[in-house]
Amino acid sequence: MPESIPAPLVIDALKDTFKEARAALAAEGWRNPTSPYLGWILSVPDTHQKTVLAALDKEDTIKTVTCATEDEACTIAAGLHLGGEPVVLMIQHAGLYASVNTLRGVSMDGKIPVFYMIGLLSREKDKDPKESRHSMVRFAEPLLDTFSVPHARLEGPNDVHLIPEYYRLSRQRKGPAAVLVGLETT
Amino acid sequence: MAMKPEDVLKVIAAHRGEAICVPTMTTGPAWREMQPEDFSVGCVGFMGGASSLGLGLALARPERRVVVFDGDGSLLMQLGSLATIAGARPRNLIHLLFKNGVYHTSGSQEIPGGLVVDFVTMAKGAGYKTTLQIGDLEEFKRRFPKMLTEEGPIFAELITTLADKTPMTDRRGVPFDQQAGKLREKLLGAQR
Repeated sequence: MPESIPAPLVIDALKDTFKEARAALAAEGWRNPTSPYLGWILSVPDTHQKTVLAALDKEDTIKTVTCATEDEACTIAAGLHLGGEPVVLMIQHAGLYASVNTLRGVSMDGKIPVFYMIGLLSREKDKDPKESRHSMVRFAEPLLDTFSVPHARLEGPNDVHLIPEYYRLSRQRKGPAAVLVGLETT
Repeated sequence: MAMKPEDVLKVIAAHRGEAICVPTMTTGPAWREMQPEDFSVGCVGFMGGASSLGLGLALARPERRVVVFDGDGSLLMQLGSLATIAGARPRNLIHLLFKNGVYHTSGSQEIPGGLVVDFVTMAKGAGYKTTLQIGDLEEFKRRFPKMLTEEGPIFAELITTLADKTPMTDRRGVPFDQQAGKLREKLLGAQR
């Protein structure tokens, strides 16, 4: 059975992810840009991850920018990446559907690493997402498969290690990668 | 009054220094000829994204000016970016809108609302620090160098004619991934 993930665990995983990203940049021989933040969150607010967003509001080391659309979030992420800044997108499955052309143009064809945390709003606790009665839950993984976007499910506290792993994967393959937040965070 | 986009670009090229430039659509071919190896990245393959790409660059590189050469048809595709930019308050972002009232590359069909659409009012309402409209080249020559030192975000609607070339009539453009890779190397390498 999936379990909800407490927000502090996600925040710690994001901090570790950003620290690792900056260390990797330095290891490649580049000097990190002078930034007051560990990293950036680009959010089109997702009900499923609202406790994480609330916790981020109190974080001085991570800068959150709220975007009007997921198209913007993906493209702003590209600009931040070109400038050397680590960035994570937090969106909802419906926003993924709305922005697939930008995912294709910016991240896939543009070879820009973009890491998504996608909330599966309305996912039933006792069902596999592929068997959900809600199309917005059911189609998320098949859509990512269609675009060959590697993805994993965050089904409980023990899965937060997938956040840095899939972030790293997006950098390695110079394209998109995603984790799907199975249940609403606490 | 309307300005030739190529003339506007010449003014920008003369004053931009090390500003990062983000051309889109009809400004792409002329800018490439004027500034072939510089801190620029064209918005190719994701129409409407120039303002957001510019915002990301501006946030990542607050020490540099970022100048976006947007189009009116392009901006309409991601109009919400006006509010996102204003909310993020990038002090170093200059958002230039080349307004010709049409989708030039696809055969000059009129954009929704045509030239009546008032982008200056929209940007002002969204919360840009400075908004203005310029239709005279002499005025742009006077005003642009000041924009490079003023606090942003700045939005300027430039009344322009059609460009001589478009990405459809001049297909020598470099793919986005190659432009992006070069810019990233320059930006990060500049600090090595």
